[in-house]
Amino acid sequence: MNTVEETIDVAVPVRTAYNQWTQFESFPRFMTVVKGVHQIRPNLTHWVLGRGPLRHEFDVEIVEQVPDSHVAWRSLDRRFMHRGKVSFRATAPDRTEVVVRMHFGSNGVGLLAHLPTLAHRVVQAELGHFKEFIESVGQEGGAWRGSIRNGHVYPAEPEPARSQVPHWPVG
Amino acid sequence: MKKAASEEPDEQLTVTKPKAWAAGVPAVAHALEYSLDQTSAPRVGTTLLAINQVNGIDCPGCAWADPSPGHRHLNEYCENGAKHINDEATSRRITSDFFRRYSVAELNRQSDLWLNQQGRLTEPMVKRPDSDHYEPISWPEALGLLAGELRELDSPDEAAFYTSGRVSNEAAFLLQLFARAYGTNNLPDCSNLCHESSGFALAETLGTGKGTVSLEDIHHADLIFLVGQNPGTNHPRQLSALEEAKHNGARIIAVNPLPEAGLMRFKNPQKPSGIIGRGVQIADRFLQVRAGGDLALFQGLNRLLLEAEDSRPGAVLDHDFIRSNTSGFEEFSRHARSIAWEDILTATGLTREEIGQAADDVMRSERVIVCWAMGVTQHRHAVPTIREIVNFLLLRGNLGKPGAGACPVRGHSNVQGDRTMGIWERMPDIFLDALRKEFDFEPPRAHGVDAVNAIRAMREGRIKVFVGVAGNFVRAAPDSNATEDALRQCSLTAHISTKLNRSHTVCGRTALILPALGRTERDIQATGEQFVTVENSMSEVHTSQGRLEPASRTLLSEVAIICRLARLTLNGKADIPWEQFEGDYGLIRDRISNVIPGFQHFNRRVVRPGGIRLPNPVNEGVFHTRTDKALFTCNEWQMSEAPEGHLVLQTLRSHDQWNTIPYTDNDRYRGIHGSRRVVMVNPEDLSRLDLAEGQLVDLVSVWGDGVERRAEGFRTVPYPTALGCAAAYYPEANVLAPLDSVAETSNQPAYKGIVVRLEPAAEG
Repeated sequence: MNTVEETIDVAVPVRTAYNQWTQFESFPRFMTVVKGVHQIRPNLTHWVLGRGPLRHEFDVEIVEQVPDSHVAWRSLDRRFMHRGKVSFRATAPDRTEVVVRMHFGSNGVGLLAHLPTLAHRVVQAELGHFKEFIESVGQEGGAWRGSIRNGHVYPAEPEPARSQVPHWPVG
Repeated sequence: MKKAASEEPDEQLTVTKPKAWAAGVPAVAHALEYSLDQTSAPRVGTTLLAINQVNGIDCPGCAWADPSPGHRHLNEYCENGAKHINDEATSRRITSDFFRRYSVAELNRQSDLWLNQQGRLTEPMVKRPDSDHYEPISWPEALGLLAGELRELDSPDEAAFYTSGRVSNEAAFLLQLFARAYGTNNLPDCSNLCHESSGFALAETLGTGKGTVSLEDIHHADLIFLVGQNPGTNHPRQLSALEEAKHNGARIIAVNPLPEAGLMRFKNPQKPSGIIGRGVQIADRFLQVRAGGDLALFQGLNRLLLEAEDSRPGAVLDHDFIRSNTSGFEEFSRHARSIAWEDILTATGLTREEIGQAADDVMRSERVIVCWAMGVTQHRHAVPTIREIVNFLLLRGNLGKPGAGACPVRGHSNVQGDRTMGIWERMPDIFLDALRKEFDFEPPRAHGVDAVNAIRAMREGRIKVFVGVAGNFVRAAPDSNATEDALRQCSLTAHISTKLNRSHTVCGRTALILPALGRTERDIQATGEQFVTVENSMSEVHTSQGRLEPASRTLLSEVAIICRLARLTLNGKADIPWEQFEGDYGLIRDRISNVIPGFQHFNRRVVRPGGIRLPNPVNEGVFHTRTDKALFTCNEWQMSEAPEGHLVLQTLRSHDQWNTIPYTDNDRYRGIHGSRRVVMVNPEDLSRLDLAEGQLVDLVSVWGDGVERRAEGFRTVPYPTALGCAAAYYPEANVLAPLDSVAETSNQPAYKGIVVRLEPAAEG
């Protein structure tokens, strides 16, 4: 198991940093390695990294999510086993410390086996992209304020828009 | 293409050893052989390369979900899907000459197989009260006749409008709109016959009527239960998802009275290992449960989980989830411990060790999915069984997280979508209020009839006009003699159909055949080429667009037939632009957006590759139940009991069959060839009942209403089914299922729990 930890300080309030980070589908706007993210449900996302022969797709479960505090996840792909946590801490009213910690399994294959050794550089660079993006736009592009505990979703409001679908019995 | 046989085949029954694996090269060969018997190679190529592709034709077969765009195979279908789509794409045609040649009585003597093999219906036909032949009729006359009959009824509730699961969202939405604007909620559908029990149990306990899992969940599960289902025949593409789950390390427990080939091993014909290798083992553990023993099995598992928690507090149950998201746990926990092991073992026919080993698998698994189908839903105690499955999932928090959940596996491509569109005899006020607001009329509020109650009402003369949109109601329904009597009581029966079936030969005094475009065919209307939409078993709504030239120039689409019938019947009642709807299906989808929650911007979103995924509230942490939490329920122990000398019979499909339509008389997975009139019985039971292998018997069902229900002339086949159980093919065995033998609460016919005796019959 390899562990990577990177920290960056961003000049926005913790709520702004957290809200932007949890808009996972916006990651390709500012990250280099992340080419696509699809949030299937609050606790399940599909990621596309890299292009061409380096392209890799996998699903990620969000295991814990607490607004303005942290998001913890784990990959559901046995070829690229990893888990991670991003924490947000207000260091001042308009400054936030963002810490990313990732643990990589040792069973990666092919190019992925080398990822852990590259990971700290990639994570550091992508955190820099995040800082640049959120500081330049100044405001988050959306927010999901629910929480996730032990893989289960707890919405912030009783009737989130996504739950408003037909729920009469289907035979 | 081969011509249809003019005579019934005269084959002899032969029985070989049941297969221990499904699919592989034979599946490809059989699919192509059947397809090329039906139509030309170019048409087969067109259908098979378009089926289940983005912007292609949705397979009219089962409702299993497609992989996401970019992850689909060039050949994204199964053997049965290929047969089904080319059964519709057939080059064989039925014209008015055919109906001049055969009277209705003569057609009714033919088998279901023979009727289907005659080909596509090409022009509207009418059977008038004083005639025993169908004769041609123009579209305006045919629809005028039906509209006139509807207008003359004393009450709109004297008509019923049946929907089969092939009907598109657009046609289904218009059909329920028409029925309600006309003034009735009499909207029986095939859901009433297949997963109604699932809908009731899930809506009550979880607040959603649909399954909670998607393909990603199947792929990431640690443990998957397959309960009362036969994926190798009824939803073969599920095997590919199970193969991936196994590849990712999942274990599978199959629970079924019969050791079906598709539960044992899968040879994926898309992979070298499936062509020349041994394929992948599906079930790691096979629990050969007695028919109707699933409730007791899950009661046993739940009891073991609770007892394991007693021994290792905090290590077995998900207390945080139970505390935060459920209600009724304490009461359930007390009740579950009171169910006697002796009862559990009697009902299941399993040993305590077998159930204990399954419970150990559960406790080792972080993410568990339970899939089920008709083997669960078609029992008297189906609703409590599914409620108990929900209890089982709730105990370890296996709902609302990736890789876990409830998966009712639906067998007809748009059966789920039709219900979403409002095809239900008891839609809630919130939906009816939205219809009133959108179309400015007052929908009826009194509940209508479901399939079983429609049959009762027809028998008693309370329903006089029956309109079927697709499907084969007479053969799908239980108690064939009662159902046939009921249909014959009607003053008029009308079927919007693509092919000939028994529902055209068992008909009212006047009968109409209204031939429709198939899903494989191009649908060109006033504003150009149209597509329709469908919803699969995993709540993904996507488009389907036909590619073939229609079987006849005079076919109308289902949407067009409903629109024209509505205009003639309603005569301006309500503010509904039927003519515009017929010309532009996009306008129908705009109205669906306004009426049905979750369908906002339907037109724009559905054309994206892969379409729309309707979220499931359970996965959003929302439970629309009476407590706003998931409900634990207390379910009394029940089992299907047969008195001494009797067996519990289940009806099932052969492998070469799709719903009510057999494609041949063979069932190669079960080793049965040349005949469908067979009853599969455990060899020990055969010997106990003093019957010989291959003996001719009549099946006689037992029900307390004094009616003798007899299926004559079945051969016994020794088969490794569970002790005390038997199996025979439907629709032939439907005659044995009493109309009043239904599931509690859901009113779904109990086709899998028919108590029968086998009476030796005279040979010859």
